[in-house]
Amino acid sequence: MATEERQAEERPTSPFVELIGGRLEEWREGYVRMSVTLEPHHTNPHGVMHGGVVTTLMDEALGGVIASVRGLETMFAAPHATVEMNASFLSGARPGDRVDVEARVLRLGRRVAFGEAEARRADGELIAKGRMTFVILEGGAA
Amino acid sequence: MTEERRRSPFSAFIGTEMEALREGYARVGLTLEPRHTNPNGVMHGGVITTMMDSALGAALGALRGEAARRDPHATVEMNASFLSGARPGDRIVVEGRVIRMGKTIAFGEAEARRNGDTLIAKGRLTFAIRNRGE
Repeated sequence: MATEERQAEERPTSPFVELIGGRLEEWREGYVRMSVTLEPHHTNPHGVMHGGVVTTLMDEALGGVIASVRGLETMFAAPHATVEMNASFLSGARPGDRVDVEARVLRLGRRVAFGEAEARRADGELIAKGRMTFVILEGGAA
Repeated sequence: MTEERRRSPFSAFIGTEMEALREGYARVGLTLEPRHTNPNGVMHGGVITTMMDSALGAALGALRGEAARRDPHATVEMNASFLSGARPGDRIVVEGRVIRMGKTIAFGEAEARRNGDTLIAKGRLTFAIRNRGE
């Protein structure tokens, strides 16, 4: 538990996710949950949540959950990168709504990892579902 | 006026610029900064999905005209393939094109390029069109 807590503190958040106000709520091996409380700057021209907010959080949560299984040291030595994302937008959200995104690993292979993510409004409504594929890059990154 | 009404607060917030907009076509650009990255220091995938969604939403808005303000369209499906990465300093341009517009559904595709050359991502989006007025 102490180890997990320390890992969560050390777990790096993407600058882009910090920019948009995404928060890491839970991070343990095989499971990550993130959240955002929507503000007017998260909207599209129709005044509702921009699809990019939820795709960003799904990508971040899944990248994080794969890191939680692979271990941070392994991840930095051989980073994983999103190669494919499919997202279905089932419902919307507005400024003031809190959105939570949960991610799970479906399979972690040596070269490829598969995962899924769900986004829910605070009232429990499922607003988006995503499936992503990551490739694990060769060691000795950069 | 109409251009401004089409502007997406979220796109403006992350720093994208609308470079071209006509019926069924939009092009948005962004010069990557450190704030657009993931923990590995390269572009976060969410930057591209945001730009794709914005470009196609705007391209469809320009095609639908006044009707888009009365009955908004919303993204219902997005598929994106990330073919290559990008780093701070790179100029990213995303073009969105409407492939087909029906009464209740519209389909579009988007391409993202790095520094005017390399294709770095390809996307397919589906929009639902509300028809309140009819």
